[in-house]
Amino acid sequence: MNKILILSALTTIAIISPTTQASELNINGFLSVGVSMLDNSDVTLDGFDTTGNFKNDTILGLQLSKQVNDKTTVTGQLVSRGTDDYGTESAWAYASYAVSDDLDVRLGRIRVPFFYYSDFLEVGYAYDWVRPPSEVYSSPFSSIDGTDLNYRFALGDWDNSVQVYYGRYSRIGSGVDLKNFAGLALTSATGDLTFRASYHRLEIETDGTGSFGTVNVGAAAVIDTTLRAALNPTNNAALDANIDQAVIDFTLTGQELGFYGLAAGYDNGDVSAIAEYTQSFSESPFFPAVTTTLVKVGKRFNDFVGHLSYAATENELDSGLDGTIQKSLGFEDKQSSIIAGLRYDYDTSTALKLEVQSHDEEIVNGAKGESAMLYTVAIDLVF
Amino acid sequence: MIKIKKTLMVLFFSTLTSLVSAETAVVVAASNGNATMDKSTISKIFLGKSKSFPDGSQAIPIDQKDGSPVRGAFNSSVLGKSASQLKSYWSRLIFTGKGTPPKQSDSDADVKSLVSNNPNMIGYIDAASVDASVKVIHKF
Repeated sequence: MNKILILSALTTIAIISPTTQASELNINGFLSVGVSMLDNSDVTLDGFDTTGNFKNDTILGLQLSKQVNDKTTVTGQLVSRGTDDYGTESAWAYASYAVSDDLDVRLGRIRVPFFYYSDFLEVGYAYDWVRPPSEVYSSPFSSIDGTDLNYRFALGDWDNSVQVYYGRYSRIGSGVDLKNFAGLALTSATGDLTFRASYHRLEIETDGTGSFGTVNVGAAAVIDTTLRAALNPTNNAALDANIDQAVIDFTLTGQELGFYGLAAGYDNGDVSAIAEYTQSFSESPFFPAVTTTLVKVGKRFNDFVGHLSYAATENELDSGLDGTIQKSLGFEDKQSSIIAGLRYDYDTSTALKLEVQSHDEEIVNGAKGESAMLYTVAIDLVF
Repeated sequence: MIKIKKTLMVLFFSTLTSLVSAETAVVVAASNGNATMDKSTISKIFLGKSKSFPDGSQAIPIDQKDGSPVRGAFNSSVLGKSASQLKSYWSRLIFTGKGTPPKQSDSDADVKSLVSNNPNMIGYIDAASVDASVKVIHKF
């Protein structure tokens, strides 16, 4: 009897001790430094130019997390980006509550799970590219303020996770609010295979001030000219009404925007491949449907990984008058890239990368574009 | 005399075998209720995909030091990943708040003392270091 008591007392102590251990402050960080050069100044690509650019791929991230009690963890991630002149932003700042081993609730600033690589978008070490191709990975923002639920479950040999989030984003520009920002991401993995599907939607509200809030005078003039040319004005009052409506349709306020993405990945440690497809949609002609695709294959040779990717983006214009206006406004866009790269794992926390990207602007802002080569050397660290 | 000779022979050969192919043993506390576990169950615990043993009790994995031979053997044989791939795997989880890698221990002796005192812990050591304080649930 005594033996059992002592044993159970020991077990209790043993179970409590890991919790005490876990309450330390965890500090993790990542750093990427890159230098790139474009060979054609007429091409716009990720903000690079024909002089060596040391800034755009340079990112420093510092993450602090602490388990506050059995169920609650607080995490903050500060990211300083060369593209923002090294201004520091809280990319993540949340409290996470473990409802059970399989269910977490987070509250605060969280990453929007738009893409396959969204969660660790800025942690260069975690993928082979210097940066995910901007044809697909082109969201102007990556974190929202809100809440999400993460649920993990197994079905046979499949490990699955569901993430549902809701929040808003109010840092896009003065007077613009992205509200009812919500979405869902499903991930299923078995063996070397991973599949992912996600859906997102948001509503845009403006307070009527600032560059985004009011009717764009230039756009209104283009709409006016386009419609007057396209419609034979037999009834001037009807034409004016048409133009007024089109100007409203082409304004930001009150528009809804949706987006979905599908991805499949394979990695057996030796050979890897990923395919990703995204599609945006909106009732509003202000947002033409954007389709993006990405295919990447990689092969590991000891500490080296060679990889080849193709990425493309295309705006699909509406039919009819809306399409004519979209064309006049320069919404036509079709671009693609082929990327060849080499990653070298110098040690278990440092990777060196070489990349050559051939970018083709078939149509950019409604006009025929040019093509260019982008050369990059980068180093990624995690610590 | 013959007996001593025999014992010496056995000792000699067992040392030889352990030198030629150092076996690694996955160990839990003697009081842990699980008998044997397969590679995929162990791998799930060490990759943070599963937080409990087959019998439902909480599982806390203990890694060995980065760069140690036993760690390398465990990484390639059980997890099927290189050190760099594992770093990449964990950096995807750490920076999204979705997981933290197992705590690292300095030696076989440290793993044994941790594991033997906590039925929730699971570690791996050189098979030659196994003693009565721990139970072997997998060997490779």
